[in-house]
Amino acid sequence: MNNITEEMIDKYADTLLIGLTDEERKMIQDEFETIEKNMDFINQIPNIKDIEPLSYPFEMYIDDLRDDSVSGEEIQIDVLLRNCDRVEGREVEVPKVVA
Amino acid sequence: MNKSISELHEMLVAGSVTSDELVKESLEICKKVQEETNSFVTIIEDAKGSEVTDNLLSGIPYGIKDNLSTKDILTTASSNTLKDYVPFYDATCVKKLKEAGCVGVVKTALDEFGMGGTGTTCHTGAVKNPWDKSRIAGGSSAGSTASVAAGCYPFALGTDTGDSIRKPAGYCGVVGYKPTYGMISRYGLLPYASSLDTVGVLTRNVKDAAIVVDAMKGIDENDMTSWDSSNIHLVENLESSCENKKLFYIKELVDLDNYSNPTDEFKAHIDNFMETVKLCKKLNIKVDAVSVDKDLLNALPAVYDVISYAEATTNMSNLTGISFGPRGEGDNPTDMIKDHRTKGFSSLIKRRFVIGSYVLQSENQEKYFLNAKRVRRMIVNTMNELFEKYDGMIMPVSVGPAKYLDTSKNVKNDETRVLEEALQIANHGGYPSITIPNGFINNLPVGVNITCAIREDEKLLQIANTLESNMNYKNQIAGGEK
Repeated sequence: MNNITEEMIDKYADTLLIGLTDEERKMIQDEFETIEKNMDFINQIPNIKDIEPLSYPFEMYIDDLRDDSVSGEEIQIDVLLRNCDRVEGREVEVPKVVA
Repeated sequence: MNKSISELHEMLVAGSVTSDELVKESLEICKKVQEETNSFVTIIEDAKGSEVTDNLLSGIPYGIKDNLSTKDILTTASSNTLKDYVPFYDATCVKKLKEAGCVGVVKTALDEFGMGGTGTTCHTGAVKNPWDKSRIAGGSSAGSTASVAAGCYPFALGTDTGDSIRKPAGYCGVVGYKPTYGMISRYGLLPYASSLDTVGVLTRNVKDAAIVVDAMKGIDENDMTSWDSSNIHLVENLESSCENKKLFYIKELVDLDNYSNPTDEFKAHIDNFMETVKLCKKLNIKVDAVSVDKDLLNALPAVYDVISYAEATTNMSNLTGISFGPRGEGDNPTDMIKDHRTKGFSSLIKRRFVIGSYVLQSENQEKYFLNAKRVRRMIVNTMNELFEKYDGMIMPVSVGPAKYLDTSKNVKNDETRVLEEALQIANHGGYPSITIPNGFINNLPVGVNITCAIREDEKLLQIANTLESNMNYKNQIAGGEK
C-alpha cells in the first residue's frame, strides 16, 4: 500500500521549487514504495522510542570559542558576483516584484 | 605514471624527470583515458609542474573530484545546476595539497552531487570501468577511481557519504580510503549529507593513501566538525606489526547459507573473501564470524536513505540560479528558481529531494527521520561494542564485481540488498574505512574492506598494509603499465 499520492508528490515538489514530469512522478512513487517497505524494518524495532536520535557520528564538543570578531579574508563584491548571470553594478539583478 | 608517490619523488629529486614532464605525461594519459572511460569534467590543459622540495608530494600530478572547490577552475559537482560555476577559493584539502606542491591536472566526474553509487548520473555522461568498458566504475567517486586505476596519476581525491570511495575502489581494483569523519576538513566540499560526508583518497597502494591523508588532515576553523589529529602519523606508523590483531566479519551478511539463490559471481566473491580471511589467520590476525541483530541489518538501507535524502534536501536549497548558477526563465524570482531547479537537477536527484522533503514534514518526522536517527544510534552502539573486543571489521566490498552499464544485464536480488549497502555502517559511525583489491572474478577486480573504531586510522592502515603486502594486487593498473 502506497501512502504517498500523486497530489502529495506534487505538493512537496512544488515546495522544493522543482517541476516533475509524469515519468519522474511515477519513479518517486515506486521508490517511495521501497522506502516504505524498508522503513517497516525500522518501525518494527522494539522500544525504538526510548533511543535518543543520533545526528552526528560521534560527540563533538566545541570548547574553544573564537573571539567575536571578523575572521577570514575579505571577499570583494565583484568576485562574489562573478558567477551571477545578471548583475547591475554591485547587485544581483532580479525582476521587480513590488509595484 | 605507474609509479608510487615515493618512487616519483625519488625520480624528481634525482633529476631523472621534472615536475613539468610528469604533469605533461599525466595530461596526455588523461586525454586518452577520457576517450575510453569518460572520467573527467575538466582537463586542466594549462597545468604546470611545481617546485620539487623535501615534501613527498611536491611536483606530483593528481585528480580532484569535481565536488571539491578549486579556485578559478570550473567546479560542477557533475550537475547542470553548476555547469558554469567557478569558485573563488580552494577547498581546504585542495589548498593543503597545493601547499605541499601537488599539481591538480583534472576535475573528475561523479554521480551528481555525490548522490549515487554507479557513476552513471554525471551531467557529462556515465563513467566506464577501465577493466571492462561495458561495466560501471561505481560511484560516486567514479572518475577519480577509474582514472587512478587507468594509471593517469598516483592518486585522486574522492568523497564518501555512503561508500562513494570504497565501493568504486573495489570495482576498479584500487585502494580507497575514507578517514575518520572530520579528520579532513569538509570546507569547500559541495555537500550531499553533512553528517556523513567525508573527504578521502583513491590510490594504487596503502602507503600512498597514508601520504596524501597525512598532508590533508588537520583542524580547520572553517569546519566545526574537524578535529585535531596532530597525534596521528599515518606514514610513520604504517609498518607496525599486526600480529595478534583481532578482526570480525558479520556472519549474517557473509554466510552463503543465508542466501537462497546466490549467483556464481557472488559465490566466487565470497569464496575469494574467505581466502583473504585464511590469509589473515596465516598472518596471525584472528578473524571471528560474529552475529549482528538481523533487524538492525535489515534497517540499514532505509536509515541511510532517510538521513541522507533529508540532509541533501536541506543542503541544496541554496541552488537557486539567482546569485550563482545558470539563471532560469520566468517573470519573478520564484518561477526563475523553479525553472533553474527543474531543468538543472536530474531525475534521480529530484526523487531524493521529494522523499527527503516528505520525511522532514512535521507530521512525518517522528516516524521517518527521528526513527532513522534512533536506529543509527543503535547501529553505532552495536559497532562500538564490537570495536571494544576487536581491532576492526573485515567485509567483502559489494556483491560480486562491477555491474553492467546496461542495467538489464544485471541480476536483481533483494536478498543481497544489505550486503550491497553494508559499507554505509562506517559513515553512520564516522569510522575510518579502507578498501584494498583482493582478487579477480571473471577478469574483473574485487575488493576487501576493513573498518576500525573512530580515530584508529593508524591501526586501520597498518592492517591494510599488512594484507596488501601479502597479496599480489598492489600497484595494479587496468590494461597494463602506462
